[in-house]
Amino acid sequence: MNKLFTIALVLGLTGCSLFASKVEAGTNINGNVESRCTVNTDTAGYYGNPNAYTLTTLPASAGQVPIIRIDTSLATAYKAQISYPTSFSSSPSLGDTVVWTGTVGVDQTSSSDMSGYQAASTTADGGAMRIYPLTIAGATWFSVSSVATYGGGQQKAFPGGSYTAVVVAECIAQ
Amino acid sequence: MNTPTLGVSAETGLDISGVIYNYTAVKDLEDNFTVTVGNEDLDGGYIWKDTEDWSGKYGIKLRKFIPIAYTPVELFGKGSIATTGTGTVEDASVIYMYRWDLCRNAQNDESCPNYIQPLPVIPKFEIYDALEDEFVKDATKETDGVGTDKDEDTRETEEEDEEKERLEIAMAATENALTIANTASQASLLLRINNATNVSSYYVAQIQGGVYRESMTLQGGEIVDNRKALRSLGQDNLMNEMIGEQYK
Repeated sequence: MNKLFTIALVLGLTGCSLFASKVEAGTNINGNVESRCTVNTDTAGYYGNPNAYTLTTLPASAGQVPIIRIDTSLATAYKAQISYPTSFSSSPSLGDTVVWTGTVGVDQTSSSDMSGYQAASTTADGGAMRIYPLTIAGATWFSVSSVATYGGGQQKAFPGGSYTAVVVAECIAQ
Repeated sequence: MNTPTLGVSAETGLDISGVIYNYTAVKDLEDNFTVTVGNEDLDGGYIWKDTEDWSGKYGIKLRKFIPIAYTPVELFGKGSIATTGTGTVEDASVIYMYRWDLCRNAQNDESCPNYIQPLPVIPKFEIYDALEDEFVKDATKETDGVGTDKDEDTRETEEEDEEKERLEIAMAATENALTIANTASQASLLLRINNATNVSSYYVAQIQGGVYRESMTLQGGEIVDNRKALRSLGQDNLMNEMIGEQYK
């Protein structure tokens, strides 16, 4: 009797192993986050060349200060990081040093409550980057000036050609 | 809102959908300063009004967009930028965003579903009523009995002249009497002179002459008719010939 029960148990277990194989399913959950902060170029900048060794965005020297607009629909959720250039992204071959200076400032705002942005900003990256906590929802226009002097103080003439430098503006979630 | 203010033709069908305004607030941080920008509603109140309170804030350039539900431009009244407190507004500008509903006025375009033929603009004539003209009224105003200073002066002058004339006549009465007497004496003197003149010889004078009688006579004593001429004039041949000429 015991032998018969054993055989039945073995067959039963075998049957279970035949009909109860493992089933798995992987289900994805997708999602998108649309940034509540956008960065746009409001006014493209260009360099004026008041003398052989200087490139500047100052309007008095026939340059144009670029204006960057940052919009956020969510207050105190983002910070703006804006840097003036410290190198050319494209230029003729330069064998000497280029000295870079520049400023980043708030040009205009969509609310008087943003008038304290400049005072509340901090600098980084040796002063080339300015960080603005965007505490008010709305639009802010930033102006970035840039001056490049060739020759490391020796006033050497820039080689002829086309020069391009990049202003980096970012909207980063806090 | 009129056309010069808006910058486009302010006709029926133009709706304002938003306003972008910007200005630079110039002030010190500690000063209280508010700036209100808006447009009055012709029906009263404001169609839109936006106030920025710059009190305790840095002055900076402001650019703001104010969305407005589509509103006919005819309802827009006077626009204004008003300030309170200490500070100034510089470089201000207001830009209106609009849409043009072509078929709001059904006469605008044939493609409009409810298009109707444009009606001619009937000129408005102002009827001139001379009786209402102030100048005419002034010119036709009654002047009799009006005691102006000028009239009084004229009247007084005339009265004085008349009185003076009467006085002169009265004073000259004696002299006139003498004059009349002299005239009478002269007339009687002249009459006597004429009477002394003898004019009867003129009435009795006779002119020498007689009767002029007819002295013409007709030679032969008889006038004979020209029968050839009578015969020719008594026929219609010449007349018929003349009539026939026109049909040749």
